[in-house]
This record gives sequence, C-alpha cells and structure tokens, in this order.
Amino acid sequence: MAKPLPLAQRLPTRRVRILTGIFLAALLAFFGLDLNLGDLIPRDSGFRLVLEFFGAAFTPAFTYQSSTGLPEGTSPFLFKVGRGLWTTLTYAIAAMSLSLIGGMALGLLASASFWERRHPLWAVLRWAVRLLIAAMRSVHELLLALVFLATLGITPAAAVLAIAIPYSGTLAKVFSEMLDESPREAADALSYLGANPLQVFLIGRLPRAFPDIAAYSFYRFECAVRSSAVMGFFGFTTIGLYLRQSFENLHYREVWSYLYALIIVVLILEVWSSQLRRRFVA
Amino acid sequence: MSDRYAQVEVLHRARPRSRLIRWSALLAIACSALVWFASEISFADMFSTKRLGHLDRFITNDMLPSKLRGESFSWGGLGDWCAEQFQLNGARAMFATLCISVLAIVLAAVAGAMLGAFGARNLMSAHPFLPHATVGHGDCSHGLDRVAQFTRFVCILLRAVPEYIWAYLLLAMLGTSAWPAVLALAIHNAGILGRLAGETIENLPSQPLRALSMTGGTRRDVAVVGIFPMALGRYLLYFFYRFETCVREATVLGMLGVVSLGYFVIEARAHGQYSTMLFLIFLGGMLVMLADVVSDIARRWLQKGI
Repeated sequence: MAKPLPLAQRLPTRRVRILTGIFLAALLAFFGLDLNLGDLIPRDSGFRLVLEFFGAAFTPAFTYQSSTGLPEGTSPFLFKVGRGLWTTLTYAIAAMSLSLIGGMALGLLASASFWERRHPLWAVLRWAVRLLIAAMRSVHELLLALVFLATLGITPAAAVLAIAIPYSGTLAKVFSEMLDESPREAADALSYLGANPLQVFLIGRLPRAFPDIAAYSFYRFECAVRSSAVMGFFGFTTIGLYLRQSFENLHYREVWSYLYALIIVVLILEVWSSQLRRRFVA
Repeated sequence: MSDRYAQVEVLHRARPRSRLIRWSALLAIACSALVWFASEISFADMFSTKRLGHLDRFITNDMLPSKLRGESFSWGGLGDWCAEQFQLNGARAMFATLCISVLAIVLAAVAGAMLGAFGARNLMSAHPFLPHATVGHGDCSHGLDRVAQFTRFVCILLRAVPEYIWAYLLLAMLGTSAWPAVLALAIHNAGILGRLAGETIENLPSQPLRALSMTGGTRRDVAVVGIFPMALGRYLLYFFYRFETCVREATVLGMLGVVSLGYFVIEARAHGQYSTMLFLIFLGGMLVMLADVVSDIARRWLQKGI
C-alpha cells in the first residue's frame, strides 16, 4: 500500500501555482512602476479637493453653478447636459451601426464554421482576416482619433470612424467565436439532407448563435457610449468635453450632473439588455 | 403535401415572439437612420478636398522622420531610426504600460471577487443553498438580499464611468504618479469582474454547495471550501479576458500625464514629431497583440480545467 504524501508536499496544486504566479507578477509590476504606498493618500490641496469633490456628489447641479461670465442668452444648464448626452449617443449609434456591419462581415469570414465543407485552401483567407481583426483591435480608439486629428483635422466623422475600427475588430472576433461555439446538430442534419454549405451556415448555424450575438452587441453599445463620452477630451462636443470644462472651472456639482447623466444612460441600457436577454432565452 | 405546408404554417405562427425584441430592433434601425441623415456626422466633410490635401502632405512629408525626408530615404535608415526610438522611449513606455495593466487587473480581480461574493443572490440569503422545506422560518432574510442588491448597484456605478474619466479625476486628487492610472483601471474593471463573478457564483451547480450547507457549514465555509474552488476556473477566464482590454486601455491613460505609452505619444505630437508618434502607436499595437496572444493561450490552457 502506498504511503500518502506528507501534506506539505501535496499542497502546491496547479491552482495554487497559478494564483502565486499572478500575485508575483503584480508585485513585480508594483516595484517596476516605482510606486509608493504613501502616494495613495492625497496631500493638502489634493485632500481638500477630495472633500469638496465628493461633497458635491450629494448636490448635483441643475443650473449653472456660477452665473458670472455667462454670455447673454446661454441655454439652461440641463439643456446643455441633454445636448452633450445626445451628441454622445449619436456618435455611439453611428459608430455601432458601422461596426455591426463590419463586425458581422469579418466575423463570418473569420469563423471556422463558415468555411466548413469547403475547399481547405480557403483557410488562407480565414487566417488573413483573423490577422486583420487582431490589427484593428490592437490600436485604441483614442490613439486612432489622435491620428485622424493629425491627418484630417477635427470632424465628427473622425471620432465615429476611430471608434468603429477597433469595435468592428472586437465584434468580429467575438462573433466568430460565438458562431463556432453554437450547437451544430441542425447544421449537420441540413448538410446530410443535401443543403449547400451556404444554406447550412445561414439556416443551421447562424440563427443558433443569434441570441448571444444580440446580447453582446448590446453590451458593446454600452462601451461605445463610454468611448464616445471620452472622445470629448479631444475636443469633440460629447459629454466628456463639458465634464472636463466644468472640472477645470472647479464646478464640481456640474461634474456630478454629467457623471449621473452618464450613469443613468448605462443603467437604462443595463435594464433594457437584461429584459431582452430574458426574452431571447425563453 | 398541402396539409404538411399547413402544419408548417401553424408552427411558424406559434413561434415565440416578443414585442420588446421587435420594438428594440425597430428603434435601433430608426436611430441609426436618424443619426446618419440628420446629425453633424458626415463623411463628405471628413474627406473634403481641403482635408485630403492635409492628408497628402502628412503622408508625403510629416509622417517620415526628418532625417529620412526627400532623397535620403532608405529602408535600412528607417530600421536604424526605429531601433533608436525604441531605445529612447519605446521600451520604457511599453514596460510601464504593461506594469500598470498587470497591477490594475490583479487589484480589480481581488476587489471583483469580493463584490461578486456579496452580490450573488444565492449566497446572500438567510439560509444559503438550503431547500426551503428544511428551513423553519425561511422568509426572514436578515436584509441580506438588500446587501446583494446594493453590491450589484455599486458594480454598475463603478463600471458606468469610463477609465479615462476615473483617471482624470484621480490625477487631480493624487498628483502625478502611476497610481491614478492603476486605480482608474482597477475601479472600472472591479465593477465588471464583480458582476461577472456574481453571475458565475449564481450559475454554479448547487448540489455540492447544498451538501456543505446541510452538513453544518456556515456561509463562510461554503464560500471558502465550495464556491472558491468551483468558481475559480471561470473567474480566471474572465480575468485574462479583462487583462487584454486592460493593456489596451493602459496605453492611452498616459495621455493624461502618467508615464505610459500615451504620455510619449502626446509628447511627440506636441513637438510635431509625427513619425515618433506613429511609431509609438505601432509599438502599443504590438503590445496589445502580444497581450492578446498571452491571454488566448492562458484561457485555452484554463479551459482544460484547473
């Protein structure tokens, strides 16, 4: 009969090793960045700012925080919030409608299930598309926006395109994975009945993945709203621009109004998407 | 034959339908149409002659390193220039970006695990995992469901604000160090991972957890002995998936003034060194692709079970 190993030798399981590795990496990163735990505590002016800023959270502004220096005929504050929000949403919707088309097309071409039952040489095209997708995803939308600003100057379409390129890549990657993971029984049955590869894919495979695809698209739309809000930091007229201006003018209550507006939009999208998902699953 | 078609017709009409889905789809299409035809977004303006002229000058002149403009361009020269730029700032920027994202994602994962445990409705009930029949007065929930509700709400709050805005606000409070970037990424991702962890816990098979509970395990015992090992694999999948987005996000947070890739990109732009700017953006892309591959390998490895 084999003697059981002493406890100390049995302990480092695979799980323990993974977790240790992760925490060691974090420790290395901590020292690599020359970080100092003391810097986490805000000092004098920073501390006052923290108090003032978080104090303002309970009293978000509904009108301009100071009326001095406002030009005659300025529209009311809430109107400004609404306009910022609307621009943010228009950028997000435009970017998302582009990326859904691009993501769907590239996602089909990148999925293994689309090329099933076809000549193996098509795999070359599939890998080329996958490489293209990886490249599209690799550059952040803000960096792309910066490149567009340098080459074409500021124009709303540049922000939309900057968001749409990496988002198409991400959607394409996830769509292709979802298509490949969808149940394949129906597709096989169609294939045995003599359907051609395109019919098999469009009727047997695609509809099974559709609920997942719709749910993920909805989540990406939420991300697009955030990305387009941040575009405001580069001069586009989304909510980020107004938020930054208010913060620089020390109007923290206005900053909180913008933050709450953004949070409410995300909350609405969250409730909406969970309701949709429930309908899809049922 | 016609009889069978009639049957198909009946089945088709009896298919599950939802008004919400239909209206949502309609609304999506209507909104897209509205945005493309009745807003300031116009590709005609983006590619107007004036802007294309600008683009032309950029490609033929601004884009090239000043040493290599005109006659003296050679691929070898470009290679030397790239190596020089990489040594100057590129390597440092990539290293800082990687460190920021690693530290941030680990902090986020720890916080997210906590948020997930407190947000899971099956764990946060008066008698976790016990069937109602065995519990005498099961409707007294100690307000724990409220805790779960609140935790979920906090998760949404954390992730509703973009990383970039978190970093911008934190930078003003903490001053310049890498902390604002690390914390901003950690806060946003803790919200996302917290929600994913909560869902993971709620979807765990309940029999082993019930067994632990019925043999006298407290809520903490069940969490440590049952939930932790069972949920870890899936949670790590999400961890690596978020890690790759973290690296992507970390490249840009530097634009606010923290030392990551974005900082050097902004610097180069301010000095009109567009060639350096493009090269650094390219390096960022390489880093993200590398993180992508690492995360892909890790997830594939994890899917075999841990």
